[in-house]
Amino acid sequence: MTGARGAVLAVLALVAAALCVYPVFGTGYGIRATLQVFMWIALAGSWNLISGLTGYVSFGHVAFFGIGAYAGAILITTAGWSWPLAALAGGLAACVLALLIGYPCLRLKGPYFAIAMLGLNEVLRALVSYFEGLTGGGSGLSLPTLDASTPIYYVMGALAAAVTAMTYLIITSRFGLRLMTIREDEIAAEAMGIDTFRHKLGAFLLSAAGPGIAGALTARDQGYIEPISVFPLAVTVTMIVMVLFGGKGTVWGPVLGAVALFVIQEIVWARYPYVHPLLFGAIIVVVVLAMPRGVLGLLQLRYRLPRTI
Amino acid sequence: MNVVVTPAMVGQVILSGILSGALYALVALGLSLIFGVMRVINIAHGPLLMLGAYVTYFLHSQLGINPFLTVPLSMAALFVVGLALQRALVFRVVGAPELSSLLLTFGISIALVNLVQLAFTSNLRTVEYLTGSWIIGGLALSKPRFIAFLFAAGVTALAFAFLKFTRLGKAIRATSQSREVALVCGINVARIHLLTFGLASALAASGGALLAVIVAIQPEMGSVWTFKSFLVIVLGGAGNYPGALLGGLLLGLIEQLASLFLTTQLSEVVAYVLLVLVLLVRPTGLLGGRSA
Amino acid sequence: MRTLLGPLALAAGVVLLAGPADAQGPIRIGASLSLTGTYAEPGTYQSEGYKLCERDLNAKGGLLGRKVEMVVYDDQSQPATGVRLYEKLITEDKVDAVMGPYSSAISEAVANVTEKYKKVMVAPLAATTSIFKKGRKYAFMVISPAEVYLEGLVDIAAKRKLKTIAIINEDTLFPKASAQGTEELAKKAGLQVVFKEAYPKGNQDFSGLLIKLKAANPDVLAAATYFDDAVALARQMKELDVTPRMTAVTVGGDLPKFQELLKQTAEGIYGASQWEGALPYPGAKEFFDTYTKEFKHEPSYHSAAGYAGCILYAEGVKKAGSLEADRVRDALLALKTRTMFGDYQVDKDGFQVAHKMVLLQWQEGKRVVVWPDDLANGKPRFPR
Repeated sequence: MTGARGAVLAVLALVAAALCVYPVFGTGYGIRATLQVFMWIALAGSWNLISGLTGYVSFGHVAFFGIGAYAGAILITTAGWSWPLAALAGGLAACVLALLIGYPCLRLKGPYFAIAMLGLNEVLRALVSYFEGLTGGGSGLSLPTLDASTPIYYVMGALAAAVTAMTYLIITSRFGLRLMTIREDEIAAEAMGIDTFRHKLGAFLLSAAGPGIAGALTARDQGYIEPISVFPLAVTVTMIVMVLFGGKGTVWGPVLGAVALFVIQEIVWARYPYVHPLLFGAIIVVVVLAMPRGVLGLLQLRYRLPRTI
Repeated sequence: MNVVVTPAMVGQVILSGILSGALYALVALGLSLIFGVMRVINIAHGPLLMLGAYVTYFLHSQLGINPFLTVPLSMAALFVVGLALQRALVFRVVGAPELSSLLLTFGISIALVNLVQLAFTSNLRTVEYLTGSWIIGGLALSKPRFIAFLFAAGVTALAFAFLKFTRLGKAIRATSQSREVALVCGINVARIHLLTFGLASALAASGGALLAVIVAIQPEMGSVWTFKSFLVIVLGGAGNYPGALLGGLLLGLIEQLASLFLTTQLSEVVAYVLLVLVLLVRPTGLLGGRSA
Repeated sequence: MRTLLGPLALAAGVVLLAGPADAQGPIRIGASLSLTGTYAEPGTYQSEGYKLCERDLNAKGGLLGRKVEMVVYDDQSQPATGVRLYEKLITEDKVDAVMGPYSSAISEAVANVTEKYKKVMVAPLAATTSIFKKGRKYAFMVISPAEVYLEGLVDIAAKRKLKTIAIINEDTLFPKASAQGTEELAKKAGLQVVFKEAYPKGNQDFSGLLIKLKAANPDVLAAATYFDDAVALARQMKELDVTPRMTAVTVGGDLPKFQELLKQTAEGIYGASQWEGALPYPGAKEFFDTYTKEFKHEPSYHSAAGYAGCILYAEGVKKAGSLEADRVRDALLALKTRTMFGDYQVDKDGFQVAHKMVLLQWQEGKRVVVWPDDLANGKPRFPR
C-alpha cells in the first residue's frame, strides 16, 4: 500500500504547490473564487465533524460563521487589531458560542438538538441587531479599505487544509471512533461507558472554530458585513449539501463536495439563477435516498477504499 | 422609546396572542401527528402551509370563491399532496435514523419553495377580503384574525373529534403510542402512515388558507412557521396532541407579550430562549410527551 | 490612370482608417442587479431602466461612436455576491465601465471593489450618505439621500400645526438612515417624537409595536420601510385601529403594487418618491410612455433612476471624450444638468446635492404628488 500512499501524497503536494503559485498569475476574480472554494472546504469539513461523525445535525452552523465575522470585524474596526489576529479571535468567539449553546443542547437527543439549532442563526441575527452600538445593527459594519485578497487566499487555504487534516486525525483516532459509535447507536455507546456528552461537546467545539475563523476572514475580504448577509440559512444549506454529496463522515468527502458543488453552483447559477435552490433540494433528496453516504461513500463500498479517505 | 404599559394594552396583546395562538396550535398539530406516528421530523411543514395559502389565493382570485370557504378545498388539495409525498419519498425514511428524515424533508422543503417561486414568482399576493376591526370595549378585534380564529378552532376541534371517536383516529393514536403493538393488533401501519401525513398536510394547509387572509402570501412564508411549530411541540410535548393546543396558545401569548414589554427585535430571542429552557428543564414538554 | 492612383490611394487610406473605428467593439458596461431575492421587485425595475438606456443610447449612435452593451448579472440581493460579481466583471469580463447595483447595502459593498480598480461607478440606487462620505473618489450619487425621504411629510405636518410624530424603521442600512434623518427634521420643525422603534428585517407581526404606538397617540407616523413590511404594516394598522392623522412609508408607498395589493387600505397613505412620471422634467413623460410600452407596466422611480444614472454616466463620458476614469470623474464632478429624472449636481465627494424628492399620497387609487409645491399636482387630504 505504500506505493499508492506515496502516489497520493505526491499528488497532494503537486496540487498544494499549484494552489500556492496560482495568485501570481490569477485574476482578482479567480483569486476570490478560489478563496471561496477554500472557505467552503473549511465550512463543509467543519460541519462534517459534528454532523457527519456524530450524526447530530447542526442546522444553525452558519451562526458560528456569523459570530466569527462580527467578532473579527469589531476587533478590526474598534480595537484596531490586525486581521490575522482578528481571525483567530473570530474562531475563539465561535468556540465560546459553541460552548454556550452546546452545553444545554447537546444533552438532548438528536432530533431535539436539530430543532434547537434550527432557530439559532435567526436569534443571533436578532441579537446582533439589538446590540447595535457595538455591531452597527442593521446598518452593518464597514471595515477600513484594505486589499488583502492574496494574503487571505493563503490563510483561507491553510484553514481548509487544517480542517481536512484535523478530520483525518480525528477519524483515525480513538476519539473519532467513539464519535462514530455515538452516531451508530448512542444508547449502546453510553452503555459501553463513553461519556457521550463530553465527546459531542468536544466535536461541536472543534466544528465551530473553522467557521469562526472563516467568517472573520470573509468579513475582512468583503470589507462590509450586515446581519442578514452573515447569518443566512443558505450558507448552512450549502454546507449540508456539500457534505452529503461528497460523503459525510469521510475526510475528503467535504472537499470533494465543496469543489464539485461550487463549480456546479457557478455554472448553474450564472445561467439559471432561478432554479438554484430547487437543484440543491433535489440533490439532497437524491443523496439521502439513493446514496446516503455520498459519492465517496459509494466509492468506498465499490472499490474498498480505506475508511480514512 | 418607552411607553407606559396600561392594562388595556396588555388586554389587547393578550387578545392578539390568543388569536395567533389558535393558528399556531392548528399548524403544530399536524407536525405533532407526523412526529408522533412516524417519528419523522417534517421540515417541509412550512412549505405545505404555504401551498395551502396559494390554493386559497388562486381559488379566490380566479374563481371568486369566498376565501374562508376555500379552507376545505385547500385541505383536500394538500391532503392529496401529502399522500403523494409520503408515498413517493417520506415512507423510505420512516424508521430510519432521524437524521435521514430531517435531511430529506429539508431537501423537499427548499425544492418546494423554489418550485413555487418558479411557478408564481416571489411577488407578494394578498387576499383582500376582510380588513379592519370591530371595536369592543376599547379593544380592537381584528376582523380577519377573529374569523380565522373561529375557523382554526373549528378545524382543530374536528381533528380532535376525529382522533378520539373514529376508528381511523384511534388507529392513528394507537400507532403513535406503539407501532409494534398496533401491528400486532392488525392495524395496517403503512396505511396509517400514509393517512397521517396526508392529514397533517391538510391541517397545515388549513392554517395556510386562513393565513392567506391575514398576511401577504409569498413563497418563503412557511419557513418561520416550521420553526414555530417545533417550538409549540417542544412546549406542549412531542406526540402529545392536546399539548399542541396548549403550546400554541402559550407561544402566541409569550410572543405578543414580549413584543409589548420588550421590543419586536427581542421577541424572537425570547421565543428561542424559551425553547432552549424547556428543552433543558422538561424535554418531554410541559404536558409531557414522548422523549426522543 | 496614374494621376488617379494618388487620390485613389488617399481615399482608400482614409476609408481604411475611418472604417474600423467600430471594429473596436462595443463599450461594455457591467453591473450586478438584484433580480432574485428580497430586492427582486425594485431590482428588476432598475434593470429595465438600464435596458432602456442601452437601447436609447444605441438608437442615438452609441457612445463615442461605439455601440453600448450592458452586461448584467444577478447578485441575488446579497452584498457578498455583488462584490464577487463586480470583481468578475472588472477582472475577468474586462468590462469598460460599471454601473451601480440596487440598494445602499450592496452599493456600499461593491464600492470597495470599484474604488480598488479605479472604475467610475454611478450608483443610481444608493441613498445612504455614509457611502459617499468615506473619501471615495469614483462613486457618484444620483438620488436624494435617505435622510430627506420624508422631508415632505415633516414639512406638511408642521404647516398643518401637527404636534407629535412616531418614527419606526426596519433595522437595515437605508431605513435606519432615513429614520435618523426624519427625526432630525422633525425636531427642527418643532414636532415631538413620542415613539421610536426598530423592527427586524423580514418581520411580519407588528402588533406589539403598533399597540405601543397607538398608546403614544402620534399625529404623524413616519415609517422607514421597504415594500413587504410597508404592506404588512398598513394592514395591521387597520386591524388594530391605529389611525394617525398622517402615515407615510418610504420605499414601497410609491410602487403601483402597493395599491394593487392593499386596495382600499392604501387610501390616504403617503409615500416618498424620487420621481414620478407626471413631474415637469424634460423627457419624463416620453420616458414613462416608452417604458410602459416596452415592459408592459409602469416604471417606478427605480426604473427612472437606473435610466438616468446610465444617461448621466454617458454624459460624463461624452464630455470627457474618453472612457478614462479620471477624466470621466472630473466631467461628472463638474456636470450640472437636468434630466428626465430631475436635477443633478454633486459635491466633491460625489454626493448628490441638487435632486429633490417628492411626497405623494394615494387618493382614490391614484398617486398624487402633494409636495413640494412647485412640483405638486394635488393637495394632501386629511381624512381625520
